[in-house]
Amino acid sequence: MPVEIPKDTWTGAVREVTIGATAAEGGTRATTVTIGGATTMPFMHFEGSIPHRPVIAVEIVNHRPDDWSHLLLDAWGDAANDPAAWAKAAEQAGADLIQLSLNQTGADGNPITPESAVTATKAVLEASGLPLLVFAPGQAELDNELLVPIAEATKGERIVLGIAEDKNYRTIVAAALANDHLVSARTAMDVNLAKQLNILIGDMGLPLDRVIMDPTTGALGYGIEYGYSVMERLRLAALQGDAMTQLPMLVTAGYETWKTKEAKVGEGVPQEWGDWTARAINWEVVTAVALLESGADIVVLRHPESIARVRAAIDELMAVPAAG
Amino acid sequence: MAKHIVTFTGYRTLHVPTGTLLSEAAQMADIEIQQPCGGQGRCGRCVVQVTNGTVRRRSTLRLTPEDVGAGYALACQTIVEHDVTIAIPPQEKIERRLATDRIASDVTAPLGYTPLGQPLHRLPLDLPPPSMSDQTDDWSRLQTALRQQTGVDSFRIDLPLLRRAGRIMREGEWQVTALVETDTWDRLDGPARVVALWPGHVPDDEPLWTVAIDIGTTTVTLWLVDLLTGRVRAQAAEYNAQIARGEDVISRIIYATKNSGSTELRNLVLETINTLLERACKIVQIAPEEVFKATVSGNSTMMHLLLDIPAESIRLSPFITAVNHVPTLLAEDVGVAIYPHATVDCLPGVASYVGADITAGVLSSGLDDAEPVTLFLDVGTNGEIVLGNREWLATVACSAGPAFEGAGVLHGMRATQGAIEETWINGESFDTSFRVIGGTKPRGICGSGLISLVAEMFLTGVIDKSGNIDLDLPTARVRYGTHGPEYVVAWGDETHDGRDIVISRTDIDNLLRAKAAIYAGFTVLADSVGVPLETVEQVYIGGSFGKYINVEKAVQIGLLPDMPWDRFHFLGNTSVRGAYLALLSREDRARIADIASRMTYIELSADNTFFDAFTSALFLPHTDLARFPTVQAAIQR
Repeated sequence: MPVEIPKDTWTGAVREVTIGATAAEGGTRATTVTIGGATTMPFMHFEGSIPHRPVIAVEIVNHRPDDWSHLLLDAWGDAANDPAAWAKAAEQAGADLIQLSLNQTGADGNPITPESAVTATKAVLEASGLPLLVFAPGQAELDNELLVPIAEATKGERIVLGIAEDKNYRTIVAAALANDHLVSARTAMDVNLAKQLNILIGDMGLPLDRVIMDPTTGALGYGIEYGYSVMERLRLAALQGDAMTQLPMLVTAGYETWKTKEAKVGEGVPQEWGDWTARAINWEVVTAVALLESGADIVVLRHPESIARVRAAIDELMAVPAAG
Repeated sequence: MAKHIVTFTGYRTLHVPTGTLLSEAAQMADIEIQQPCGGQGRCGRCVVQVTNGTVRRRSTLRLTPEDVGAGYALACQTIVEHDVTIAIPPQEKIERRLATDRIASDVTAPLGYTPLGQPLHRLPLDLPPPSMSDQTDDWSRLQTALRQQTGVDSFRIDLPLLRRAGRIMREGEWQVTALVETDTWDRLDGPARVVALWPGHVPDDEPLWTVAIDIGTTTVTLWLVDLLTGRVRAQAAEYNAQIARGEDVISRIIYATKNSGSTELRNLVLETINTLLERACKIVQIAPEEVFKATVSGNSTMMHLLLDIPAESIRLSPFITAVNHVPTLLAEDVGVAIYPHATVDCLPGVASYVGADITAGVLSSGLDDAEPVTLFLDVGTNGEIVLGNREWLATVACSAGPAFEGAGVLHGMRATQGAIEETWINGESFDTSFRVIGGTKPRGICGSGLISLVAEMFLTGVIDKSGNIDLDLPTARVRYGTHGPEYVVAWGDETHDGRDIVISRTDIDNLLRAKAAIYAGFTVLADSVGVPLETVEQVYIGGSFGKYINVEKAVQIGLLPDMPWDRFHFLGNTSVRGAYLALLSREDRARIADIASRMTYIELSADNTFFDAFTSALFLPHTDLARFPTVQAAIQR
């Protein structure tokens, strides 16, 4: 007896967003990355089209992040000492995008200056041809001080500037608007809050195909189900035609994973937890894949080995089964 | 370019080129026309009347077709293209004509009120003096006379009065006046009680004083009522002194469970009530002890705290009150400083979060007897909402916080003299103009003032849809103050105490949360009974807003649903009005109990629906702009 698979019909689609600009487009990137465009829930190939595969961004920091797990620093080796070298290594490890995080302090331990932030950003752009995301430390005033000169110094590159939040989005959005960049908009795990920030950003005149939303998530075992459910609802609303939810989603799977005890702690944990390195990487990979299943378009990762494994998972999920 | 003759009746005649705005022409003629909104056609304050000739109107917002037919035009939106004659209406007339303010109906005694239906009667009695041949005791003598006068069989008297009764009868030389309470709601068949006794005959037209009290979480209101005429003779209101021990009912309950917290809270609210009582009594020049009955309304927590009945079970699942129908009590036991042996009648509630304030509110709105589906909303610290008609009543309660009563806001105040009750912001200069209650220099901003202020800030771009103040605006009124970003509503040189009156980002957040809670209450209630909000035919609004609530502004911030303004009716403080009605009539008192038994309470904490609706409403006017078409249109203008 033939099995009929029920299909939902959707009226909406996720917006297509292109990150990075090649020389022809006014930037210097070797390639650009386009995400979004889906007309169905994640990987439901039989139901609609998924024109762009989800992508992997790799997080690097403007100077060696001593607060990171040594598992990560060991894996990246000397590359982690220098953002340019790190970007290159990330590209070689299979990144689609580079995500540069700016630490509050510079390499010399003094507070980061706009000049050093611009220098680091430019160095990364020169070292790798991949499109770039630059995330400031997350302190309203400092973020604005750093992101404005970066946006100006890299005009036309279609960088994703982050992180725009409800209480601090104007300056970042204005900088993106004036310099042909994009913004990443973060809200605290709530469908309405995500919509509201998108409306506020749209009200400033930034076209929504230059906005990515970061709905915030938790790692496996740390509230991922809440994040999952919010992302799923956002995607359902988008497919039902709610324009303010039709933006691609970015999730910081690496950042969340490497806060967990399972990834961070190697000693004094039950023996059954097994090998520390393997466990930590598994944790990052499983977190990332779960979030891809809930609709993430960009997953930001930290460990080089996770990159390869998540990429393999994306390959499998994107393989369209033969008809019949 | 062609010039036209513009004649301002009573002022000047001048020549202006085609395309001149009437407001510009008036300025040239040195005529002051108010333009609080900065000439953007929003406020309607610049209305003039074209008495001869024709003009081109760019916008007629705020003018009815009849207005336009009568020649009215907005000076800032009207262009001179021909010779015209213009009349400038006096300012008061403009204020009156603007129809968006809903004024609370005045308190008048119910039609056909008569004291004869009252359980409380003041009876002049002529007692036969005792003698050697009539050895009847004093109390029996009094009872016999009462029996003859009232037809009631038996009477009770309390010991303190019994002790004094004999002397009073002798002092009056066997002419006395007795105050008799034939029944109360919980003793319908009596026995009747002699409440008070005076020597001699009290003149018939001397008022019989009683009091209706509403204990709000934030505001306590008291009406002094003459039972003979049914008229409210004095009113007084003040913040509940309990506020200092917590702004909402939950924090009060928690405070009450600590040490002697419950005693302290009881004393604080009694202090407020008794102060108000004295203030009201002073107005009519009587002593509080001359007040012979009180009805009390208020939410369940306030009622428990007044009576010092443990309230902690209200807060904890399954949210049960100690008592919904409080038996009648004596004033001296409750601690209300009226006549010690007067009856205090606490009105009944429905549940932990639907108290007497809402049953009394439903009574005074007449919702329980309405034909069409009606929404009743009591905007207080708890937003209580009832939807229904004579067939059914459903209710929700949501915690809104005290912002709409002017509390918990930096420069907030009650709607009394000196409160800014309406504000306009000029869309270009971002300067304000405002109306102050009593026409004095402003002291602060009351609830309705805050609503209109937030709406104006939103429409002029001082704040974004999320309430963030735009500090980059070219005006010194936006600034970073000691409490974060703020907007200066009135500069120190124009205020009562010389300090700037501001609204801070935190204040705006409080107001947004308050309005979001109430709007979410509407939507969840309407959804849960399956009535689309837009099909509601009338909306009754109660609350301590003072005289007005500006419906347009309340819709613009998303507090009230976007529907034609004529569906809204502002009733003022419906809780105290309900207490007043219960004081005047046995039938109304019984009806409150009936309302209490008919209401279906919908618990909002049962699932996520309310929270979702709340965050969705935590935006100006709402995350889903399609729910507010008129506001959408206003933003686009």
